[in-house]
Amino acid sequence: MTILQRGLPKLVRRRSAAIAALLLLPVVACAQETSAPDYEDILQGLADPERWLTYSGDYSGQRHSPLTQINVDNISSLRPQWTFQTGTTTRGRGFETTPLVDAGVLYVTGSNNYAWAIDARSGRTFWQYRRNLPRDLTYGASAPVNRGFGMLGNSLFMVTLDAHLLSFDRRSGDILWDIELADYRQGYAATLAPLVLDGKVIVGISGGEYATRGFIDAYDPASGDRLWRFHTIPGPGEPGSETWPDDPAILARGGGGTWMNGSYDPDLNLIYWGVGNPNPDYYGDLRPGDNLYSNSIVALDADSGELRWHYQFTPHDLNDWDSNQIPILADIEWQGSLRRVVMLANRNGFFYVMDRVTGELLQGTPFTATTWAREIGTDGRPIILNDGREGCVPDPWGSTNFMPPSYYPDLGLFYVTARETCATYVSEQPIIVPGQASFGGVVFIDSEKGSGALRALDVQTGELRWEFTYPSPTFGGVLTTVAGLVFAGDHEGNFMAFDASSGENLWHYQTGSRIWGAAAMTYMLDGRQFVLIPAGTTLTAFALPEP
Amino acid sequence: MKKLRRVKRCILTALMSLSAIPIVLQLSSVQAQQVNPLESDPRAALAGGVLFRSQCATCHGGDAKGITGIDAPDLTLIWSAGETTDEGVFQTIRNGVPGSIMPSHGLTDPETWMLVSYLRSVAVTGATKFSGDSLRGSALFLTNCGRCHRVKSGGGSLGPDLSQITTRRSSAALINSVRDPSAVIARRYHPVSVVFAAGGAAAASNQRRVQGALKSEDAFSIQMMDTNQQLRAFMKADLIEIVREPNSLMPAFSRAALSNAELEDIFTFLQSQL
Repeated sequence: MTILQRGLPKLVRRRSAAIAALLLLPVVACAQETSAPDYEDILQGLADPERWLTYSGDYSGQRHSPLTQINVDNISSLRPQWTFQTGTTTRGRGFETTPLVDAGVLYVTGSNNYAWAIDARSGRTFWQYRRNLPRDLTYGASAPVNRGFGMLGNSLFMVTLDAHLLSFDRRSGDILWDIELADYRQGYAATLAPLVLDGKVIVGISGGEYATRGFIDAYDPASGDRLWRFHTIPGPGEPGSETWPDDPAILARGGGGTWMNGSYDPDLNLIYWGVGNPNPDYYGDLRPGDNLYSNSIVALDADSGELRWHYQFTPHDLNDWDSNQIPILADIEWQGSLRRVVMLANRNGFFYVMDRVTGELLQGTPFTATTWAREIGTDGRPIILNDGREGCVPDPWGSTNFMPPSYYPDLGLFYVTARETCATYVSEQPIIVPGQASFGGVVFIDSEKGSGALRALDVQTGELRWEFTYPSPTFGGVLTTVAGLVFAGDHEGNFMAFDASSGENLWHYQTGSRIWGAAAMTYMLDGRQFVLIPAGTTLTAFALPEP
Repeated sequence: MKKLRRVKRCILTALMSLSAIPIVLQLSSVQAQQVNPLESDPRAALAGGVLFRSQCATCHGGDAKGITGIDAPDLTLIWSAGETTDEGVFQTIRNGVPGSIMPSHGLTDPETWMLVSYLRSVAVTGATKFSGDSLRGSALFLTNCGRCHRVKSGGGSLGPDLSQITTRRSSAALINSVRDPSAVIARRYHPVSVVFAAGGAAAASNQRRVQGALKSEDAFSIQMMDTNQQLRAFMKADLIEIVREPNSLMPAFSRAALSNAELEDIFTFLQSQL
């Protein structure tokens, strides 16, 4: 049973209940209005057209909406309906959130740990939250962004730049509980959108540029009590520690941030999560070995946090190519049989397809012109041609990054924002000081050689089906809809729509600021389909003209 | 490789010994220093370079020239306007830039001053003192440069403003840029031509070509200053062709056109206008 199939009976029940409510008493309708989303609702994914309850829309990470009102034929009429101005800036970065929507209310997080509840019809504010952040933030000061809320019942969950996890009352914006994930003074921060499962809030941590040790945590949504923690860098003697020097101090600061959302397979009860770079980023002499589980995807049991399998994309990373990209889960025909796969386009320039039950690598193919490696060996390891010390390879922001990709099941196409860059890396032994970044070298980027592209990859072969090029390397994410549309953003500030099959550009709108780290989301309200994109300090809502 | 390691160790030792020295200095800096107390210590810039590479280079680049994609400024140019002070740079490093990704830094006072020393050491400055004939240079500038280049409030806009250029370039670099202007073309001055159909007709005879300096561009539009110094913008869908030209809009001046002595006069004039 696929993720979507699981949700269908519930949708039928919901629709029946809605019809009954309309026919019966107003008080019943009122009860329907206030029913807050539970785990079963999140499990439905995007089956309810008026809801978007988790970062990627559903647990699969596909960011593929079933909405069809806006389509290839009418998209040229798409117009802005309202904008929301946050008033809080992060020059040099982006407005990176994906809003959630339920019962006509948008729940939005912003830079510098602002957050809002907004009327999804008008963009007007119900409440605003602003966290008093300490002045001595570490990693959080250089990336003062946030990717969104998690939601369960009347609670919202948000992580903070001082590495806390907060629970909000979604009606008032009041804080229900506030717990520390890690000591921000050491270099920790948190920026992702919490992933809410059945009775668990899953979060990860940022700070791999500092002497930190990454982890993935599960918390009780009601109390904030920690249920389990998985360390991405093993402790002395633990499995994986053999890929590090035999030195507890090095393991304790091995990096391996988990700063971007993972995905979830409810049938296998497995969480799929990307792990970031080892520390120091560019200097590997202090950490000979593969440095597990840095630059890997890990599959964890959702109830215990135990590791089921892992795959390391970039062994002994020297280029800061975190693997914190959204893993996309899909059930696809693969060489004659149905395979449950996880797909990921990595910062190292390769697109991977893996069996998500076993972790078996099915395919790894380059999707950019990277000269780091051009193939994966039969042992599953990249055949490295150039580690960046001699001639250029992708820059530290990578061939793609955390901006969400999208998967269109009917077309079998994976849409990813690709960055073509040219960087030369110079290692230098860092001085390790808690609370100070330790990159371990410098990078020289040839800015004349940068460009970007939206690329459609055939998941069966990894081959490029079509591309649309951008003048500069881009951090905008992707949304697809079953109406045959791809929505994407670029570094020049354009929000665009494409024909998903042909790649033809159908529509574009200049938002006035780079679209950075964000992808669009969409929902129905009052019979109209809205598409939202954050850029700069502005959230813009688009729809077709009212009939 | 071994030699490189030795050099690195040496730099680290220098940094550590410097960190240890100025306890007295820290005590005396309760009130913020106006001048860099390490200004005369040649080791400070070296040690500051180590700090720069570990704490600053990811955003400002290994060469300190900035990364435009993330709005990180070119730090080699911060001094050339003449308004930047050591104290101001110290405070920016210490406090960060609110509303941006430039964080505050919890470095000690000596470490922060080392960074200031390092930034001074990589500053692009024109140390040359020109001694030509300023009056003659003024006339030569007007004849040869003024249509496209500005100095103070006079001149054109097709090329870069030259009011501060003698503080940012050495004499040799200035001469090179006059003799071979296409060797290095500054951002926002790259030559471009767009070709479009006049009057809607696509026939080759009706094609029009506009040449200028590329100011900005996205997937759908292009912004430029044409050679008549008008700001022009075009939708790419309306264009037949976009030609990115290798040669600068500025003509190369041979020695016959402008002798080195005449260039000295022009640079002297520019310097007199600072």
